[in-house]
Amino acid sequence: MVKAVRGVMVKCDASIKAMLIDIDNKNHNDFIIEDLDEEHLLVKEGKIMALKNRLAQMMKERLKDPTEEIESGKEN
Amino acid sequence: MPPKRKAAAQTAAEADAEGWDSDDMGALSDQEMYDDLKKNFSIADKKRRTIQRADAASFIFKHDNLDQPLKPDAASRPLWVNDDGKIIMESFNPLFEEAQDFLINIAEPVSRVSRMHEYTLTLHSLFAAVSVGHSSKEIIDRLERYSKVTLGSNVVAFIKKATSSFGKAKIVLKKTLSYIESDDPAILQRLLRDPTVASCRADNTDGLIQEAAPKIGVMAIPGTKMAAGATQIAQTAAAEPQAPVDMIASLREEDDDEDVAKVHSFQIRSESREEVIKRCQQIGLPLTEEYDFNNDEVNANLDIDLKPHAQIRYYQEKALSKMFSNSRARSGIIVLPCGAGKTLVGITAACGVKKSVIVLCTSAMSVVQWRSEFIKWSNINPDDIACFTAESKAVFKGNAGILITTYAMITSVRNRSYDSEKAMDFIRSREWGLLIADEVHVVPAKMFKQVTYAVASHAKLGLTATLLREDDKIGDLNFLVGPKLYEANWQELSEQGHIAKVQCAEVWCQMTPEFYTEWLRSPPSSPKNDIISSLNPNKFQACQFLIDYHEKRGDKIIVFSDNVFALQKYALKLHKAYIYGGTPQNERMRILENFQHNPEVNTIFLSKIGDTSLDLPEATCLIQVSAHYGSRRQEAQRLGRILRAKRRNDEGFNAFFYSLVSKDTDEMAYASRRQAFLVDQGYAFKVITRLEGLNQRTDLAFHTPQERRELLMEICLAKDADVEKEKIEGDAFGSRFANGGRAKKGAGARRTAGTLSELSGGQQMSYIEYNKSRNSEIKGKGVKNAFLRKLNSSTANAKKKAAGGG
Repeated sequence: MVKAVRGVMVKCDASIKAMLIDIDNKNHNDFIIEDLDEEHLLVKEGKIMALKNRLAQMMKERLKDPTEEIESGKEN
Repeated sequence: MPPKRKAAAQTAAEADAEGWDSDDMGALSDQEMYDDLKKNFSIADKKRRTIQRADAASFIFKHDNLDQPLKPDAASRPLWVNDDGKIIMESFNPLFEEAQDFLINIAEPVSRVSRMHEYTLTLHSLFAAVSVGHSSKEIIDRLERYSKVTLGSNVVAFIKKATSSFGKAKIVLKKTLSYIESDDPAILQRLLRDPTVASCRADNTDGLIQEAAPKIGVMAIPGTKMAAGATQIAQTAAAEPQAPVDMIASLREEDDDEDVAKVHSFQIRSESREEVIKRCQQIGLPLTEEYDFNNDEVNANLDIDLKPHAQIRYYQEKALSKMFSNSRARSGIIVLPCGAGKTLVGITAACGVKKSVIVLCTSAMSVVQWRSEFIKWSNINPDDIACFTAESKAVFKGNAGILITTYAMITSVRNRSYDSEKAMDFIRSREWGLLIADEVHVVPAKMFKQVTYAVASHAKLGLTATLLREDDKIGDLNFLVGPKLYEANWQELSEQGHIAKVQCAEVWCQMTPEFYTEWLRSPPSSPKNDIISSLNPNKFQACQFLIDYHEKRGDKIIVFSDNVFALQKYALKLHKAYIYGGTPQNERMRILENFQHNPEVNTIFLSKIGDTSLDLPEATCLIQVSAHYGSRRQEAQRLGRILRAKRRNDEGFNAFFYSLVSKDTDEMAYASRRQAFLVDQGYAFKVITRLEGLNQRTDLAFHTPQERRELLMEICLAKDADVEKEKIEGDAFGSRFANGGRAKKGAGARRTAGTLSELSGGQQMSYIEYNKSRNSEIKGKGVKNAFLRKLNSSTANAKKKAAGGG
């Protein structure tokens, strides 16, 4: 029997895609329907907001904000 | 911050009464004292006004200046003076040149981009202003004249406070005796009321010594046109008749800058010199150190002069004229970009002082360089130059001479050999006219203090290109060496062709998905993470593309990678020569010579050992693959490698500086932090997101996904020890013991670990010893043993090949 799932195509940078897949893997493949190519993903429609939130959180954790004040860069 | 503001608003006399000199202050350690001083004088932390309205950019600014009304003719005035001591200047204003000359004297340049310059008034800059002869009235009047807005009362109070407390009293060495000197007897009386200072006084008379002040500005810098007639002027200045005191006083009221004044002084005991200096800083009257070398008859003169062909440039003259402004040598720091002739400034200063000089550098390599520069630019007898390094521990024979050494040699606490102990005694026992501290920013404050205690020098000159540190210790140099005397404008120098014009670019390289997945998986800021982002195949291709492009243009290229693992990968894959900390000396020399003279060798890869000491005027293009986190200094020092490009005066010549950054990794944040200093010097970084023509190339490394995966696999298999950043500063032993068994794999470490394990089991060892001696007799066991050994060594070799061979 054919089963249809509504999905949203997400176009992003390769690095962001890697992040999305990472999120997906950690959450029992709950988000992504299909990995299309280097820059495209098909994501479950209902999960899109949750995915966005998780991505924002992850970026906040992993990437340093260049506009942030630098307090303690130690050298030598 | 009520206490601070109060302190800033008070006059010096009131401050005295408030009890700055309470006795418990004496117990403070030096570090606390510095902090204390900084706190007392800090102009920041004034009232923070709330931001009036929020827009997209307002979060960047702490406050606005809406309550400072513009003067009616604001358009014709060049600058704004903010309440927090910041000065913003328009560089397109007609008055710019004039205002800049003034500002460079009284404020520190923060940022000098093409249209707007930013300065800040600091305690030290005002201190320096006073020491070159500006009065507080003059500073305030001129600032008011240039400013578009009325000066805030805070700023005026700060200037008054700083100028009144600083530079009023000087400590002078005359005939090797220390005197405290001031043109205002009241200040000396105030000092003498202090019990500590009074107890250090050497002469017991009540009165003060009076004499005519030397005329400011008669010192001629050797190598300039003025030098010829200088001696005569100096003589007339000394013979100038003394005017009646009251007339002088009235003159001084009208024009504070008038320098025909009397100076008063009292003598202090030389051995309590440090004590007095510290005490005076505590009571808010820090002493300036000056050296009257013309009248120093005790220390032997050194026969040194610049050779006639040595022409010093105008900015070097400007810098030196601040050092020698009243025919005395003043301690301080001169900041010039790399390649702009810092060494020549040092040599010229030595020629000016003409006494024994001690030069401190960072490495044995630069000791040799300094020596050859001295011989190249001055007529000094080569026998009078001594080098004190691990290899040679010579001292000069005559009464005066030049001694070149490293910071490490002077401050070493380990047991010295007999020779070096003798040399150290020689250094400690004599008086030095001038101490030149090369690359002064790298020296930890503690170490420098040790140097100043070990070396009795009359004047200290610090030289550096990048007066900044990532830890906030740079301020301490103000107390240890002296104020910043001069800082050159990088853009101006490159406009005039003294240093090369550089195009800076930041190339963003997309991470490949596999690499990024791996990057996400490993913990943040681990060594493995660094290596994944620096070996990103797209970056690799960009690097290869840029090397090809610039080699075709005829450029000589240096590629920098902090990470040795990545360095070797790049260099071996691209078939280029590379140098890192482990490269033997003769191999280094051979590679560098080939790079300079062989048209076949146009690209070399360097680890961070190439950051400073290498002088390669052939290099015209620089590519940075991986770097030391957010170090602004490293970025500036690396840029310095191409600033002295030989071809800089060719028509339309540009040097290129590329920084390759892997997108969406930590490198992005670090890169923008690293550039901060250069941006402040007026360099603009272009961001290149895509290299034209890169995609069409199929001959680049790691073109196929297969190759990329193999590379990634190698990285993953590489041991943590291999991917760690190179350690050069002698600290190589620190991690070995922590690593335990892992250290076995390294070629150098294997032997150590083996010995250790044998040592740990004493019985075992004797058992083996016993067995061994017998084994040699028993053939069968001997063969087995040899076979095992062979097997072991062949697997080790294979591993080594896999790690190094790529």
